[in-house]
Amino acid sequence: MVEPGDSPAEMPQTAEAPDKTVRTPAPTLFAAASPRPLGGEPLIRSRDFSLFYGQKVGVREITMDIHPRSVTAIIGPSGCGKSTFLRSINRMNDLIPHVRAEGRLEVAGVDVYDRRVNLPNLRQQVGMVFQKPNPFPKSIYDNVAYGRRFQGFRHRGELDEAVERCLRAAVLWDEVKDNLRKSALALSGGQQQRLCIARALATQPKVLLMDEPCSALDPIATGRIEELIADLKSAYTIVIVTHNMQQAARVSDRTAFFCLGELIEYDWTSVIFTKPARKQTEDYVTGRFG
Amino acid sequence: MTSQPPISDPERPSRRLWVRGLCDRLFTGLASGSVLLIALALVVVLAPMLWRGATAVVFKGTVEFRRMQLEQFKRGDPAAVEAEMAEVSRARQPVYDLLDRFSRGIATEDLVEESRRINREFGKQLEARDTPAQDRVELRSLAKRLRDDLMEALEATDKTAALAALGRVLRCADDPCLKGTVADGFFTLAKDYRHVVETVDLSRRAEYAKTLGEVRDAIKALFGPRPGEPVPSLDMDRYGATRWDMAEKQLARLLTVEKWVEVQPGRPLQRVEAPREREFAGTDLAPLFPLMREHAADMLRPERTFYWQYFLDGSLSSHYFGGVGPEILGTLLITLVAIAFSMPLGVISAAYLVECAGDGRTVHLIRTSINTLAGVPSIVFGLFGLAFFVIFLLPKLGLPGNSCVLAGGLTLGVLVLPIIIRASEEAVRSVPPTYKEAALALGASRLRCFVTVTLPAALPGILTGVILSVSRAAGETAPILFVAGAAVAAPAWPPWEAMTRETVTLTYSSYNMAVGDRLAALVPHNQYGMVTTLILLVLILNITAILVRSRVAKRLRGQ
Repeated sequence: MVEPGDSPAEMPQTAEAPDKTVRTPAPTLFAAASPRPLGGEPLIRSRDFSLFYGQKVGVREITMDIHPRSVTAIIGPSGCGKSTFLRSINRMNDLIPHVRAEGRLEVAGVDVYDRRVNLPNLRQQVGMVFQKPNPFPKSIYDNVAYGRRFQGFRHRGELDEAVERCLRAAVLWDEVKDNLRKSALALSGGQQQRLCIARALATQPKVLLMDEPCSALDPIATGRIEELIADLKSAYTIVIVTHNMQQAARVSDRTAFFCLGELIEYDWTSVIFTKPARKQTEDYVTGRFG
Repeated sequence: MTSQPPISDPERPSRRLWVRGLCDRLFTGLASGSVLLIALALVVVLAPMLWRGATAVVFKGTVEFRRMQLEQFKRGDPAAVEAEMAEVSRARQPVYDLLDRFSRGIATEDLVEESRRINREFGKQLEARDTPAQDRVELRSLAKRLRDDLMEALEATDKTAALAALGRVLRCADDPCLKGTVADGFFTLAKDYRHVVETVDLSRRAEYAKTLGEVRDAIKALFGPRPGEPVPSLDMDRYGATRWDMAEKQLARLLTVEKWVEVQPGRPLQRVEAPREREFAGTDLAPLFPLMREHAADMLRPERTFYWQYFLDGSLSSHYFGGVGPEILGTLLITLVAIAFSMPLGVISAAYLVECAGDGRTVHLIRTSINTLAGVPSIVFGLFGLAFFVIFLLPKLGLPGNSCVLAGGLTLGVLVLPIIIRASEEAVRSVPPTYKEAALALGASRLRCFVTVTLPAALPGILTGVILSVSRAAGETAPILFVAGAAVAAPAWPPWEAMTRETVTLTYSSYNMAVGDRLAALVPHNQYGMVTTLILLVLILNITAILVRSRVAKRLRGQ
């Protein structure tokens, strides 16, 4: 098992030179997200996975592998099933009545739609950050400690240590360390979103799902979150849904393009944005469609 | 193509604006006016009650009040009260003297008895002195004649006849044989009575006797039993007027006489008031009235009193004296039990309705039932509580099957349950779903999510339901009647022992005072005081709950 905070030394940092072609939107875009060889077994493995809301199709026959310690962006027009697929990974779709899944969706080798899966355990392994910052109406400290507490860590010192570690990981520590007892709702939107990330990190997940984490934030806050994602990549497997294609290009290693519930194309980000294999993808990333 | 109408009419823009402004102002005025009207009506309804209720605590207490407080509640300085009592006794003495002197002439049965006694004593004295037999017979017959004359005078209703009889008696006053004997009593008696006959209209003696009784009663109500008289067994009879307002009422009863006279034949009688002094004009009692009118304050010594212990004291002679301490305690305890029972149950029900129940037929039925339950008359709940808790459940649990605080609290709990369920349901439903999502995404189970996130966020709304319930439970009378109340009960202390005992409550005691007997008329301040206490109690409970709620809400908003 990969522990967050482990040294990312074994990660090959040497990157291939970005494939520069005529249609590259901007040469600087891929500076942080150059394609690199992804080692090891895929952490999330989807095989012909479909999800239905009653009769309606959410996603259909998705087959893709997501590798550990990488950022995978999911892009696509509204209603294409990006969020549905993301929420299937930690089964947050269960909140919606009449949901039915078919096919196989594995996280670390376990089928998450197996009846025997322990949902709380799964969700502690697969953390989630939502579109709108949604801190609990509690203190900053209690927000971060929330998940940690019911994992059985009740000792004061251990909790303090975990809170500090998560807030540092979310680059929020320096801003809030003096008033951890303050209500989380008193923070700014960007700070709240970083707090939500810190909160998700507290349960020590392997995977971090982000559902349009910057759509409610201003550009400066967005920039900080993106920096944070780049930092976290070394320890976590991140799947991010975004509407913002520049963002996808900036932060992700690989990009999946969804349309009408189907996976159209899944490749290196640089490939998707520069020389996609499918016409549909090209139309979308160049703004002719969607 | 038709031309667009202009956005503003250049012809009459000001007029349109003017009409709209007027309508705006009219609406605002109407709305705020009606709110003001409601507030005013509330004040008009409540203010007199609160004002009269306040007189139970702030009033002019007389020396009788201080004596009562000392003797019944061991409160105050005994030496000071005793000194004060001595002073007022001195001030009251002339009243008693006047009364005694006058009543000697009116209540002649006593005098008749006394003249008989003198005659008997005289006979005994003669025997003891060894008077020669001849003299003794003579003296005995003389004494008997004197007695008969005296009795004739005492029983006469005609002034001249009485005076003639008295003259016959007094003629013998200088008889040397009677000098220095018990028979002298005849002459003092006759002299005293001659004075009465000269001042009093004997033909009206029966009338005097009746009004004298009224005067005596009024004096007794003012000053309490006369020193030296046996102490009455009822607490309420042991003291005179303890409050100056009560004293003034008694004083009015003493000073004026109320008569119903027929002004016109066939019409209802009319009430007329006349000074009582006029009835006793010229008699020995006449000076009593100016004396009482002018010196009543000296005899009672009213002092401004702040009787805050009213909220702690128990009551004497069913609320004739004392306070409402046990009532407050009983009300608080029953309300507490009701909330402690209904709040968890209500929250759990709300959790079920929001989190677990779907939209099925059963849930619809449950919801309808809850709404119906909220409209059931409280007396029905009372009977339910009697049948279920008192008669069925408590004996099953090994507790005595009588009305008690526990049964009362549970019944009121059932009564307020719909209120709490509805408020809690609304509150739980209005918690942002993002909170729940966040908690679930962190791996919290549904129960943990509800307890740690949803419930704290819903707390202000739940507290709103509790506030409403407290007011309802504390103010409810009908169920208490069946399941918890008693006219007389020991204070509900300590609480765990009181659980299985009956109790007095503010509502039930107010009801009891109102329907019980003349008490509410005698001590209206206590009745009003009790109701005012109830209002204040509910107000304090509500304010506390509102403060708690605003604190919680503030914390939730992150301030």
